[in-house]
Amino acid sequence: MWEVTRKGLLAHKFRLLLTSISIVLGVGFVAGTFVFTDTIGSVFDHLFTQTTSGTDAVVRAKLPFKVSSAGSNSQADRAPVPDSLVPVVRSTDGVADAQGSVSGYALVIGKDGKAIQGQAPTLGVSWGSIPRFAKSFNVEQGARPTRPDEVGLDQTTADKAKVRVGDTVHVDFLTVAPQDFKVSAVFKFGDAGNLAGATLAAFEPTTAQRVLNKVGVWDEVDAAAKSGVSQAGLRDNLRAQLQRTGLTDRYETITQKALAKETANTIKQGLSFFNTFLLIFALVALFVGAFIIYNTFSIIVAQRARELGLLKAVGASGRQVTWSVAVEALATGVFSSIVGLAFGIFVASGLQGLLKSFGVDLPSGGIVLKPRTVIVAIILGIVVTLVSALSPARRAARVPPVAAIQDHAVTPTSGCRRYVIGGIVTGVGVVLLFLGLFANVKSSDFPGGAGGLVGVAAFLVFVGVAMLSPVIAGPAALALGWPSAHIRGVTGELARENAARNTRRTASTAAALMIGLALITFVSTFGASAKKSFADAIDRTNRADFQLAGKHFGGFAPPAAQTARQALPGGTVVEFREGAWQYNGAGKQLVGSTADLGQVVDIKLRSGADLNGFATTGVLVYKDAAKSNKLKVGQTLPMRFSATGVKQIPIRGIYDDNKGLGVNFTSYILSLRDYEANYTTQLDLGTAVRKPSAMSASAARAALDKAMTAFPNVDVQDNAQAKDAQLSQFNTIINLMGALLLLAIIIALIGIVNTLALSIYERTREIGLLRAVGMTRRQMKRMVRSEAVIIAVFGTLLGVVIGLLFGRAIVASLHNDGIVFAVPVGQIVGFVILAALAGLFAGTFPARRAANLDILKAISTD
Amino acid sequence: MPGADTKVASHAVDITKVYGKGDTAVRALDGLSIEVPSGRFIAIMGPSGSGKSTLLHCLAGLDRVTSGQIFLEEQEISAISEKDLTLVRREKMGFIFQAYNLIPMLDAEENILLPLKLAGKEPDRDWFDRVVDTVGLRDRLRHRPDELSGGQQQRVAVARALVTRPAVIFADEPTGNLDTKASAELLGFISDAVEEFGQTVVMVTHDPLGASRSERVVFLVDGKIVDEMPKPTPDKILDRMKELGD
Repeated sequence: MWEVTRKGLLAHKFRLLLTSISIVLGVGFVAGTFVFTDTIGSVFDHLFTQTTSGTDAVVRAKLPFKVSSAGSNSQADRAPVPDSLVPVVRSTDGVADAQGSVSGYALVIGKDGKAIQGQAPTLGVSWGSIPRFAKSFNVEQGARPTRPDEVGLDQTTADKAKVRVGDTVHVDFLTVAPQDFKVSAVFKFGDAGNLAGATLAAFEPTTAQRVLNKVGVWDEVDAAAKSGVSQAGLRDNLRAQLQRTGLTDRYETITQKALAKETANTIKQGLSFFNTFLLIFALVALFVGAFIIYNTFSIIVAQRARELGLLKAVGASGRQVTWSVAVEALATGVFSSIVGLAFGIFVASGLQGLLKSFGVDLPSGGIVLKPRTVIVAIILGIVVTLVSALSPARRAARVPPVAAIQDHAVTPTSGCRRYVIGGIVTGVGVVLLFLGLFANVKSSDFPGGAGGLVGVAAFLVFVGVAMLSPVIAGPAALALGWPSAHIRGVTGELARENAARNTRRTASTAAALMIGLALITFVSTFGASAKKSFADAIDRTNRADFQLAGKHFGGFAPPAAQTARQALPGGTVVEFREGAWQYNGAGKQLVGSTADLGQVVDIKLRSGADLNGFATTGVLVYKDAAKSNKLKVGQTLPMRFSATGVKQIPIRGIYDDNKGLGVNFTSYILSLRDYEANYTTQLDLGTAVRKPSAMSASAARAALDKAMTAFPNVDVQDNAQAKDAQLSQFNTIINLMGALLLLAIIIALIGIVNTLALSIYERTREIGLLRAVGMTRRQMKRMVRSEAVIIAVFGTLLGVVIGLLFGRAIVASLHNDGIVFAVPVGQIVGFVILAALAGLFAGTFPARRAANLDILKAISTD
Repeated sequence: MPGADTKVASHAVDITKVYGKGDTAVRALDGLSIEVPSGRFIAIMGPSGSGKSTLLHCLAGLDRVTSGQIFLEEQEISAISEKDLTLVRREKMGFIFQAYNLIPMLDAEENILLPLKLAGKEPDRDWFDRVVDTVGLRDRLRHRPDELSGGQQQRVAVARALVTRPAVIFADEPTGNLDTKASAELLGFISDAVEEFGQTVVMVTHDPLGASRSERVVFLVDGKIVDEMPKPTPDKILDRMKELGD
């Protein structure tokens, strides 16, 4: 029996290969994501171990609370420590040396006046005189800055700014005026050109304190241990010292190893969103691959009916026949998984290249292939292949021995059972979808919370619809083939009939494509809805004439707004800053702004608000938040800030519309005075400008543009530009998701190639006959390609319908967030056309195969 | 050579067909010449491996000869491109194979009209009706092949071969899968077509009864014509075949 299976496998190497591709791609992306994650992780571990090398322990302020909110610019920030802490640390037992260090915002301006800024932070840091604390500054040229007008730059930034040691560079800060510095050193950060994409400007410590608005204070005090004292020992000594001096309440001590790990983890957490994202797409690809496997094995079993019947006739049991198919699946799975794993390593390096193109220069480290990656990839590949081949393998067992001598003894029996099960699966999927969307599911109720539930629901809907789809595949193929039958004549007619003849096969081939198209349609529908809603909100609420925006969506220093104010006397300039805070133990977001914000954005402030009071201190609360927390104007709100602790802030007003306040739709607006008093970093994330009514728009624009030349990282945008810039964020996300879903679509197209190639093999005799009675090769190619197009368009339309329904459901669930439904008609029509073209392309290879069949061999095939 | 003045539908001059190379080479046709006059019904017989099917395939342009020339009417088809050959087959030849003659998802009428449709030609309805009536398929036109008996399926194939009014119909064991009654019926239709329409037919068979319906039987052994028998009868054919050692 094994011998038969083995020979069968070898005889169909090509089929094995084509079937494998779908799994190879899926497994490859899963493995690639893992390898990428692990490699990046090890890179950061290494990087931050380097950053802190020389330091053995760090004393810093305690963090009063943690805010866990993804996708926000606001981090709860630590309070600084006073200069006076340094001698306390230095005098501790076992401390060889101690030094304070600071970091903050510093923007390097290149020679051409352009800000050197990527997606990563622009940092200013202190570079102390004690060499052991400065090991990570790997000086390439020059020497450590020692004077107030000197700066050290990382290599990448220096290159981008086109400056060398001895040149002068302009640096912009948050609170102090921009200043020219002489470049005294160009350094690498450990091995890398820069610190994970961030730009670094290093200053002599006192200068750093001054320009980073930390005069007399430090972010932390670094301590080095005397020889023979361990990091843990040093930490314990420092703790004891803090205890003795009564500073334990405010400060904490952490070892260098723990600090490096903590910092690396922060970055890894930031990347984990990206990883989850990639993993989801990899799993979608694998899911689509499963359809291809299922289809291929179904066709193989149907084609081998005669052979399987013969095996049964000579005494093989049903179980043995099932096993022979299962072993073929196992071999396919093992082969694909191993190749997929190897492919994954390429994928990982591709992803690293992608990061590099975003400006993140990672130190070259070896690819990290953990045993976990190997095990997961191989098991996933094998399990997916085996599960997909299960039903065809079991069908093989039911082939009667008589199939050996009869021609059409086995026709796939699409019994009622399939449709009943398909209906149930679809139904359960739809119910779960609605539960996930509307029932407020928490991660304690279901793994992954609402998102996880919706994912499972989508999976079930896809499987269910795939099971049901043969019902409509026949009529749909006839309907979709109508144009081809009428344009192409008999070849089109034959293509149409071919597509309609084995509805199960057409349906499951199309189903693979359906998944990718459903997801792409969903993403673009949801994107279009979000965009439209966002645009509507801007149109409804915006009263400003211009926006000042940081390049790359980064923040910018407050002097820009101040300068704009001076440039437009009589106008209104309103800053917006974001921050985290805590209320009743829950982390929340807020926006800091000024009392005249109503001039630039309509928040529908209810009457009774006290804006005069808000100008000096106070908070405005969104109606829903006010309702759920029972807050009223005149009360004080105990707001806990990470830097300053709990402050009693008076509630000055309730507002009804939060849609104009940026994507976070914040529920709390804090007076800018309070913001300045309670946050260590002051960074404008947006500034809205309303021109004086007497001034023309063009004059105001000219004045603003002129004023902003001093701030090269600030863009002046009119309303249309601002809207475009905001909406383009959506486009980026939609396009990225589209690109990733392309993978699923490519796999589905491989499925079409595979199915058609196998069908053609099955129809060899028929093709020979068509050729004998006068079908030209060209007509033959046309026929096969038309069939491919019909299948592709069928899958696409199914996908588009499901995607629209998904999109509609999600939008309905977000109704309270003001999302309205919008259908990107042009895009969807584009998808269908592209799918038809892709089908045409997918049909090319099988078409050529069919056209080149030797007629004589074809008609004499038994 | 009977009737040297009549038109020749198909002829082969000194053809050889060699399969394989070197020691394993097999000469399936060995310097063979044959002439099929227009309007005649010729049967080709011979023991297994005599080359009779190869001869039919070569005459029909389904297979290429190693050397020699094949003509269809005046046109030499042994030297034209695959594409031209397809067009010649479509317009000037009809085929009836032993089995699997029909496209399963087309009904009888569509199958019959397939060659015309492939050529993009409008069928001549009168002619179509005559052909359909000749093979007795009038009430079966809307049936798909799996709804037809084996004999009916072969009749559809005959009608399809006739409908283009080809120069020659090549039939390769057309009754091979049929029972005696259906065989006799089918052969009746074929000889009717020869008589009524003046259709040229070349048929390979190993059934003496079938071959006896032809006007002339050509016997092949080892790729060579060894004998011809005009006005054959089943008994005479059987005797001859025994001598040839089938």
